[in-house]
Amino acid sequence: MSDEAFNEIDFSRYQRWLNRAAGSEVALMVFNKSGVALWGADTAQATKIGLAIVAAGMGAAGLHRHDVDAGKTALYQSLGAANDGQLGWLAVMVDHFAEQEAPVLIDQLADAMDDLVAGIADAHRDKADLVMMTDELGQRYEELHLVYAVDEHMQNSEGENDEVFQSLLQSAVEHLDVDVVAFVRPSKDVCQHATSLRHDIHNLDLVLVEMRGDLYRFLQVSAETINLNAADDPRRAYIFTDMPYKVLACPVFADRKIDSMIVLLKHLHKPDFSNGDRKLAEVLANQLSSLSNAYLLMQSMRDFNRQMARALIEAVEAKDPYTRGHTERVHYLSMEIGRAMGLPADELEDLHWGSLLHDVGKIGVPDAVLCKPGRLTKDEYNFIKVHPERSYDILRHIKHLDKAVLGARHHQEMYDGKGYPHGLKGERIPLHGRIIAVPDTYDSITSSRAYRAGRSHEVAMAEIERVSGTQLDPAIVEVFKKIVATEPEWLRLFNIRRDKA
Amino acid sequence: MKRILIVDDEPHITRVLKLYLGRAGYAVDTAENGQAGLDAIVKNVPDVLFTDIQMPVMTGKQLCFALEEQYPQRTFPVFVMTSMTDREHREWTQQISNLQFLEKPLSMRAMTHALNKYFDAAVVGEGASHV
Repeated sequence: MSDEAFNEIDFSRYQRWLNRAAGSEVALMVFNKSGVALWGADTAQATKIGLAIVAAGMGAAGLHRHDVDAGKTALYQSLGAANDGQLGWLAVMVDHFAEQEAPVLIDQLADAMDDLVAGIADAHRDKADLVMMTDELGQRYEELHLVYAVDEHMQNSEGENDEVFQSLLQSAVEHLDVDVVAFVRPSKDVCQHATSLRHDIHNLDLVLVEMRGDLYRFLQVSAETINLNAADDPRRAYIFTDMPYKVLACPVFADRKIDSMIVLLKHLHKPDFSNGDRKLAEVLANQLSSLSNAYLLMQSMRDFNRQMARALIEAVEAKDPYTRGHTERVHYLSMEIGRAMGLPADELEDLHWGSLLHDVGKIGVPDAVLCKPGRLTKDEYNFIKVHPERSYDILRHIKHLDKAVLGARHHQEMYDGKGYPHGLKGERIPLHGRIIAVPDTYDSITSSRAYRAGRSHEVAMAEIERVSGTQLDPAIVEVFKKIVATEPEWLRLFNIRRDKA
Repeated sequence: MKRILIVDDEPHITRVLKLYLGRAGYAVDTAENGQAGLDAIVKNVPDVLFTDIQMPVMTGKQLCFALEEQYPQRTFPVFVMTSMTDREHREWTQQISNLQFLEKPLSMRAMTHALNKYFDAAVVGEGASHV
């Protein structure tokens, strides 16, 4: 560090100044505190003089002498500054002289040396400041680079949250040039990691378990970044036994409490984690934590939506226990059809909600009608027919579901236009309504009611085939037939009765 | 010792580069615009050139095209320092051979990494040519 500052100083200027002050050519030499010549004199001689000066130790202030040989004497003075301590030595070469008969020149030189020492020490301090600031600036660039890169990554990435987070960790692991980067948030059961090794770490699972356990607890107590470089660091006994890694673990604070941490791992043979690594890890920790918070918020919104939907479905099922499970099965099969048709993600999301909530309107149908065993009168049937429109009335308040509602509203339309509530025909029936209608028909046949047992898969398929083109969209019936032809798992899962062939 | 020439008109950039490259064991020269950079190259061809784009007198882009013309057989790589946020203005770089990007704000890690990778590959290349 101090040598870097010396390198910035133009010593030739001081040499000229010395020559003028002395009135003749006087060779100036500068040594660092280890006695290495930084300027002046030829190398072999300078090295010897430097070593001799260092060996003599730091004497009192002022000029000291070292007789180089019979002809030459070096006069030297410590180069120091109040706060920096010993920086090095300044020396001049003069002709040998006897102690008692120092020529006038020496007094002049002594004064000049005092000024030179003060001047060079000042210059050194300025340059050292400059080097320090430059170093600091480089660190800041590094941090900015990381922040920009993370930011850009977030803006340009598409896909699920987990994937974005994962690719972010991946780019961090490469940028920081470490073996593993892990983000650990035990309270939310989050422990994501990325590696940049050619070979997987075979016991990484074990390492991660230790991380979220002992290491995290230790961090909770210490509340500051832990840097474990040394293999024999005594703290390893408590937190990271037998792991051949250098560890940098850095806490992430939320509301002044530690709620997660970033852990960087490097194999022991790699260079130590530096202060710069620590700062970068802290920057990364903050970035990842705000991202993770945003994701958790989104997740809790999703959970809320799901729970609200669940509550609505429960409300229907509480009224009509015989439809219990119906919603779930129709939803499941609708999604199977939607995926088989290759619907894009946003449409699948709408189908998801539409099929889950398609019977919510049954809340508005009187119990006496809804739960009546046996045949319904015409009036009673009219009550039933109100339910899709009632579903719409209930769900239209939820803006997020405005597209999903179409599927629920129109799942009782018939392909030939004889359905309800609007008597739409063919392609004019919203696609999701046409999709939901198929499993809705299937399940109403195969599920058990109070007054009859569920009929078989084969009976249901025959009926669906029969009404394909009149009640149901034939194209969607085809898709459904292809799905059941593969004997899917859900036939067993939903306990669908089968006829022996 | 590998010699690196840095061409940039912003002293805070050249200072940082010089300090970190010096520490990484490279000899560093600096020039404050494209013309000064070209003069320095004519005098003494470096092992690597770092150049900014926006500079007075002669821009980095002009410097690169001048190099293509004067040194069609050039072997030393050019690292162009560009803003991370300014990707649209990079098309011209496709006409320059042996060119790579260093994105500002500069990462000293990314930079030393790129240099080490380049020199490691170059050493392997030289070794192979002797076989």
